[in-house]
Amino acid sequence: MTGPGGLALRLERVSKSFRDRKAVSDLSLDIPRGVICGLLGPNGSGKTTTIRMIMGILRPDQGTVTLFGAAPEVARRAKVGYLPEERGVYKKMKCLEFLTFLAEIRDVGRAEGRRRGRAWLDRLGLGEWADKRVEDLSKGMQQKVQFIGTVIHEPELLVLDEPFSGLDPLNQDVLETIVRDLRAKGATILFSTHLMDHAERLCERVCLISQAHKVLDGDLRELKAAERKGVVAVEFRGSDRWIEGPEVMRTERVNGDVHLFLKEGADHQAVLRRAVDAGVEVLRFELVEPRLHDIFVRHARAAPGNDGAHAAASGVHA
Amino acid sequence: MRAVVRREYLQRVRSKVFVVSTIATPLVLAAVFLVPMFFADRSQERERKITVLDATGVLYDRLAPRLLESGWTVDRAPGGDMAELRALVETGMTGGLVVVDERTLATGEATLYAEDSPTPFDRLTLRTAVTRAALEESLERSGVDAQAMLGGGNLNVELLSDAPSGAGDPSFWVAYIGAFFLYMVILMYAVAVMRATLEEKTSRIVEVIVSSMKPWHLMLGKILGVGAVSLTQLTIWIVAGALLGSAGLPALVTARPELADLGSIPAALPGLGLVTLFVAFFLLGFFMYSGLYACVGAMCNTDQEAQQAQAPLVVFLVVPVLMLIPVIQNPTSAMATGLSLFPLFSPMLMWARVVGGGAPAWQVGASLVLMAASIVAIAWVAGRIYSVGILMTGKRPTLPELWRWVREAA
Repeated sequence: MTGPGGLALRLERVSKSFRDRKAVSDLSLDIPRGVICGLLGPNGSGKTTTIRMIMGILRPDQGTVTLFGAAPEVARRAKVGYLPEERGVYKKMKCLEFLTFLAEIRDVGRAEGRRRGRAWLDRLGLGEWADKRVEDLSKGMQQKVQFIGTVIHEPELLVLDEPFSGLDPLNQDVLETIVRDLRAKGATILFSTHLMDHAERLCERVCLISQAHKVLDGDLRELKAAERKGVVAVEFRGSDRWIEGPEVMRTERVNGDVHLFLKEGADHQAVLRRAVDAGVEVLRFELVEPRLHDIFVRHARAAPGNDGAHAAASGVHA
Repeated sequence: MRAVVRREYLQRVRSKVFVVSTIATPLVLAAVFLVPMFFADRSQERERKITVLDATGVLYDRLAPRLLESGWTVDRAPGGDMAELRALVETGMTGGLVVVDERTLATGEATLYAEDSPTPFDRLTLRTAVTRAALEESLERSGVDAQAMLGGGNLNVELLSDAPSGAGDPSFWVAYIGAFFLYMVILMYAVAVMRATLEEKTSRIVEVIVSSMKPWHLMLGKILGVGAVSLTQLTIWIVAGALLGSAGLPALVTARPELADLGSIPAALPGLGLVTLFVAFFLLGFFMYSGLYACVGAMCNTDQEAQQAQAPLVVFLVVPVLMLIPVIQNPTSAMATGLSLFPLFSPMLMWARVVGGGAPAWQVGASLVLMAASIVAIAWVAGRIYSVGILMTGKRPTLPELWRWVREAA
């Protein structure tokens, strides 16, 4: 267990409403230093609102935000890098000047800011664009420049709102590599996404939210291990009438296997027993590591006050 | 914050817009005042020719130069035969025939024969020329210095109070043009602050910046940056103006003696003290209005919205311009004093009164103090509205909402 000093970010019972609509409700979240954490949920579930509260752009109606164990204003300026969902640049500025400016407002010296800006531009293949105006770059290139602006002051915490949207697969890979790289150097990264497979590849921790409520959060591997009982892959010969039963929530056919999604707390042994009793020949019976998507769907349904959770979850792309 | 100021300054000073506006603004200002004069001149030149039949034998020599001055071409009637002269007019050989005689000397009456009815302006110049010629002749016959008398005499002013002197015709223009210029530059730069704010808001770059600094610092940085640009531009204009006045004009007058009239301009130009005061009024005015305009930029989402929302501010800038003439003509009246002490009007109106010579030093000082106090008050209110507004999207706030922002902002 990490003490509060070991936390990069702590949200304590944070809530935010816009007029009558609850955007974030009673959200608590701890992110230890040095991990990559995904903030996952369908569109409109409250990811961006949460991030904006972390960045001080919105003030929570209730609850507190703590960065590195202190009031957020202390650390935000120099220790945090932020990539907003809506990408903004100074169109008329030259790329390198723009990056130097962003470094400067985070307390990096001018010369040092220039040096780092140039190094990053070279690294991302934009070296020859350094003295071109930002508006002359393509959308994707602008997005890269903006990402450099997020990391140029070597922040200890990176907050990225939908960093992969709008990037082609090649550049998504580049971005993933950089994020891993920064993590290896000790940075903490929090990013939001509705793309579950990115999260699955990249995250050590996840926080799933749906309709303003936290569904669950924790270490991804532990979560998956805990959820292992939830999905069973069965290969068998014979009638499939035995499948219907009190434990099974739904089924899905994957490459000749049948995946059974079990209800919370259901006993997979009972399912196996039923199959044997029904007289089918069981060729394979395996607890499958569930996909993040499946975990999300299970828990979004179970969470309190989430009647429409399935509709919400269907917005999640596996 | 230094980075914000530097960015704002360099981006602007390096831009083409800066170069163009540095050159264009004085031209526009000149155009506003000179073009009407030019066209007034032109309309006089259109009338080509007038013929004078002088039965007195003395009036023609007095009339001719005066008519030439107002743009006519004058010649003496070739003979006294009225039928022939009428034919001249009818065939268009001359634009009109003016007949002056002894009766003219006595009453100022004369007769114009013309094809078309003369314009009111032509009537006026002709009448003035004729009566003036007649007056001069009669006055000189009775031994009076007609030139001096008709020139309006002279009133030697000896002021006994300590009000700054400097009344006279040129100072009217310095007061008027100067105040108008203040209006133009304050509006121009305040709007620049508004646009910059709006651009940052709509492009969302502001989210990144505000996560690294207080919104209030961003606003201050913007205003100081634009302010520095404006000072640069003013300095260019003032230095250019000084060079033109001290070196350019005399050289021009030497080269082309027919422009000798221009030689009197440097004498009318404001001295160093007034230039300093001008810059002070500009800066104070700029800081007041740019704070307000930054607020407008922060609470709007589109250019159109901002155009509407700035309308009340424009009123505060335009009212003093409309009041300029009455204030300059009667600078010590209660109305002039009151209006010029109202901080948002002070830059234009107090300037006009100072140059017009009608403002005691304590009132000038008071207006400076009031403006400084207003800047603090505006910064306090505007900073709060800005801090909330810059991150708000959606509907433009109503006045009660704005008030809530002011109360709730940290």
